[in-house]
Amino acid sequence: MGNVTRRTFLIGGSAFAVSAWMAPPVFAAPKTIKIGGLYPLTGNLASTGLDCRRGVELAVQIINGKYDLSLPLAKTEGLPNLGGATLEMVWADTRGEPKNGQAEAERVVTQDNVVGVLGAYQSAVTKTASQATERLGIPYVCSDSSSPTLTERGFKYFFRVSPHDGIFAHDQFSFLKDLENVRKQKVQTVALLYENTEFGSNVGKQEQKYAQEFGYQVVADISYTANATDVTSEVGRLIKANPDVLMHASYITDAILFTKTFKEMGFNPKGMLTMAGYIEPGYLAAVKADGNYVIVRSTFALDLAKKKPLVAEVNKLFRQKFGMDMSENAARSFTAPFVLADAINRARSTEPQAVVAALRETNIPADQVIYPWKGIKFDPQTQQNIYATGTLVQIQDEQYATVWPFESAAKDLVWPVPAWKSRK
Amino acid sequence: MGSDLLQQIVNSLLIGSVYALVAIGLTLIWGVMNIVNFAHGEFLMIGMFIAFWCYTLLHIDPIFSIPICAAVLFILGAACYRFIVSKVMTGPILAQLVVTFGLSIFLANLAVLLWTPDFRLIEKPLLNGTWTLGSVQLSIPKFAASLGSVLVSAGILLFLRKTKTGKAILAVEMNRESALLVGINTERINALSFGVGAGLVGVAGAFLSMYYYIYPQVGGLFGLISFCIVALGGFGSIEGAFIAGILVGFVQTLGGYYFDPAYKYAIVFLVYLITVWIRPQGLLGW
Amino acid sequence: MFALVLILLLLYPLFVKGSFPLHIMIMVFLFAMMGVAWNIMGGYAGMFSFGQAAFFGIGAYTSSYLLTTYHVSPWIGLLAGGVLASLAAAAIGIPCSNLRGHYFAIASIAFAEIVRIHFNNWKLVGAAEGLTLPMLGQSFRNFEFHSSKVPYYYILLGFLILSLLVCSWVSTSRMGFYFRAIKESHDLAKVVGINFVRYRLAAIMISAFLTAMAGTFYAQYILYLDPDSVLVLPISIQIVLVAMLGGAGSIMGPVIGAAILLPISEGTRVWLGYKGTGIDMIVYGTLIMLISAYHPQGVWGLLSRIGKGKA
Repeated sequence: MGNVTRRTFLIGGSAFAVSAWMAPPVFAAPKTIKIGGLYPLTGNLASTGLDCRRGVELAVQIINGKYDLSLPLAKTEGLPNLGGATLEMVWADTRGEPKNGQAEAERVVTQDNVVGVLGAYQSAVTKTASQATERLGIPYVCSDSSSPTLTERGFKYFFRVSPHDGIFAHDQFSFLKDLENVRKQKVQTVALLYENTEFGSNVGKQEQKYAQEFGYQVVADISYTANATDVTSEVGRLIKANPDVLMHASYITDAILFTKTFKEMGFNPKGMLTMAGYIEPGYLAAVKADGNYVIVRSTFALDLAKKKPLVAEVNKLFRQKFGMDMSENAARSFTAPFVLADAINRARSTEPQAVVAALRETNIPADQVIYPWKGIKFDPQTQQNIYATGTLVQIQDEQYATVWPFESAAKDLVWPVPAWKSRK
Repeated sequence: MGSDLLQQIVNSLLIGSVYALVAIGLTLIWGVMNIVNFAHGEFLMIGMFIAFWCYTLLHIDPIFSIPICAAVLFILGAACYRFIVSKVMTGPILAQLVVTFGLSIFLANLAVLLWTPDFRLIEKPLLNGTWTLGSVQLSIPKFAASLGSVLVSAGILLFLRKTKTGKAILAVEMNRESALLVGINTERINALSFGVGAGLVGVAGAFLSMYYYIYPQVGGLFGLISFCIVALGGFGSIEGAFIAGILVGFVQTLGGYYFDPAYKYAIVFLVYLITVWIRPQGLLGW
Repeated sequence: MFALVLILLLLYPLFVKGSFPLHIMIMVFLFAMMGVAWNIMGGYAGMFSFGQAAFFGIGAYTSSYLLTTYHVSPWIGLLAGGVLASLAAAAIGIPCSNLRGHYFAIASIAFAEIVRIHFNNWKLVGAAEGLTLPMLGQSFRNFEFHSSKVPYYYILLGFLILSLLVCSWVSTSRMGFYFRAIKESHDLAKVVGINFVRYRLAAIMISAFLTAMAGTFYAQYILYLDPDSVLVLPISIQIVLVAMLGGAGSIMGPVIGAAILLPISEGTRVWLGYKGTGIDMIVYGTLIMLISAYHPQGVWGLLSRIGKGKA
């Protein structure tokens, strides 16, 4: 454990003063730069946590090595402005609990002296972890938590790269409007189904908001217990409400159970717009063809490779390393290390203030990200990436195909979705 | 409106019998040994995994792996009794309550270590799909589970009442000291009961695996509901567990449909509490 | 002996500066306190509650809600939370007063789950999103500290000592005597005329009050709470384990139990958890089984037999 010199100073904030322990200033360029990675590596969401970790591991491998890829710092070994210093991940298991998020964030900062923190997938855990880093004055770059509230706190050290649920919810309704205008398919009623967790209920709120704004009638608003033993009551209600479109926000377990129950009870909306669980690799592995025609919000899809060869190149490396295709979660977590490393490199220092200043100046161009974004640039107030957008993918033949925005679609949208009985 | 209600009633019966099947093993153990097996949910999980591996590696459909699940879990249950639970039988109640908690944590995480936290599903079991009877959709695997539940309950009742071993178990359940006096080897009966109880939930696991997703933590909620069912039905009472299981199925499904799905388990627990206040020994307990 | 331990605990933060070691001690104190509170109803009065998380959560939510909505001082919120938790305990305690052993345990679980599900859907307190406490300037008055955990450490140590004093008072008072009588035999106690409903209720309410205090502390420490962080079954179970491991029915038992169990829990997560293999929890589960099976009187029982102290 290093000696910690104490310097206290006030960082302006709207309502609070934050004191910070400072890591010792870097006199000579370090050989390794430690980054903390917080994920649920055990517990209910372990399979997701491990998936996210794969994305981060690949990113670190690319940064530390020499690859002919259009990604920040790929072509050099390590960070050139710091004498080729390489990144070293310090992994921390949050077990999916907010209190561990705080404890682990503090631990990796104060004991392992990490220069920045990534993670933690679950928004509730990211909340407390980033509260800790804010108090300690260490940068936190998040690219896998989607609660809008994370960038509404006025934090100075927290940056989010990926889109949040407000953006995703807005996308869903933009899509419906497009459907009407471009494809002449009219939708009038929607049903909202979401698990009653921080994630689900936030999505529910956002969807209600945009439903009003866009002028759609919400015929059912169902909040259900996650990891339920049985969902026939919920599906019964949906069938009764008879919506044109169902919007479902859940993690993987309920996605599986609901899909089976929809089939069992014959629930046939014109289409389904979903979030999170449906895009995890475990979902299709479990439900196979029953998952067809489901539309999921996404940041990433393998078919982007058609317009952006970088995606195929990165996926190839991912396959080599892990024996499977890159998933949405791995792809989202993949980006944060690049943003952080790029900032440290530009700052030419691991000193938190310098890194944060560099983060604020981040301007990664469109051709260096594996998504259809215009790039990465943070809003000066909220520190949310202003170019983070989502797409919609539809499961066709048990593969995820980008179907919206229509201009960047790789495959044609299937709408309305065939009823269960008429499917093979 | 009528056909809605009918569908929900059918759903209630289906999920209720599944619950009953899961709970029967627990009530036997509880009745005989006065021990709440908090690892019951984890036994269920292991049963489900066994069915899964039989399907994936040996291509045995879950309906045929029932005896395998029952056998493996029987051995596991008896072993757990012999090496772990028997040590606390003479100890303080608290130790008895806690030791199976430890077992549940151990088993759930052993599953993580052995099989990873990923979710598995048996995609094409023989008993698959839905029957449409008029306006009602009947899930075939759940229906099979319900039939299984009835058969298993009847079977275990026959075993307990008509066979020598079964009667010995009943004797121990009713009065341990007298059973000892009559020469019944209560230790052996304990191990046997634990084994049988575990085997029963193994069967439940095989049925459940036909339609539910499988992963190390799957036992949690099922286990919790089982405790309520067993206490509701009366410890040791097989018939009680069956009836209580169906009752809970109704409360959960109708409560979720007509009241609020987010509260459906709260309603189950509330009904449990109220029943136990009015009649502490449960519906059919002594 | 106690004096020595107390002095060591008081001096600990002066020698150990790291944030994580302090966090571990704070977790130890937190669960020790709740273990002591549990003991009052469980170890002493024989009511094995597996639902203490309900009171922990009520305490945390009460003070946090009052703070975020009405800007009420957390110290007042602390008392309010304690009172509400006691009332809730009384409400559940009366109907449950006839239940014993396993039945009581399961009823307590059912109760705690109802509370959790309700809070998870209650928009007033943020439902599933929980409550985020405002980051105010650090001061004793605000019950928030940012640059160091040391004040948190001492405050909680104070709470713990308070709980121990309460427990000690309970056990040596007439109430404590009656508790032991009730625990030994319900029926005999009834015959002798002890109004055991009243005493059981008192035990439950005191226990709930202290547990709620711990809840408020937690809220002020983490500055964020949601139903999954404060109202879940694993917290209730950990409280029971701490008391049992250390020695239920002894005053210092839960403190020892917490001192052993919490570092193991945190330590296995840190050193083994990150691999994602679940080994940390396997170790934890095994330990629990070993202790229950071979040393159910807990460490305190073991120490007493060696003659090191008085239970």
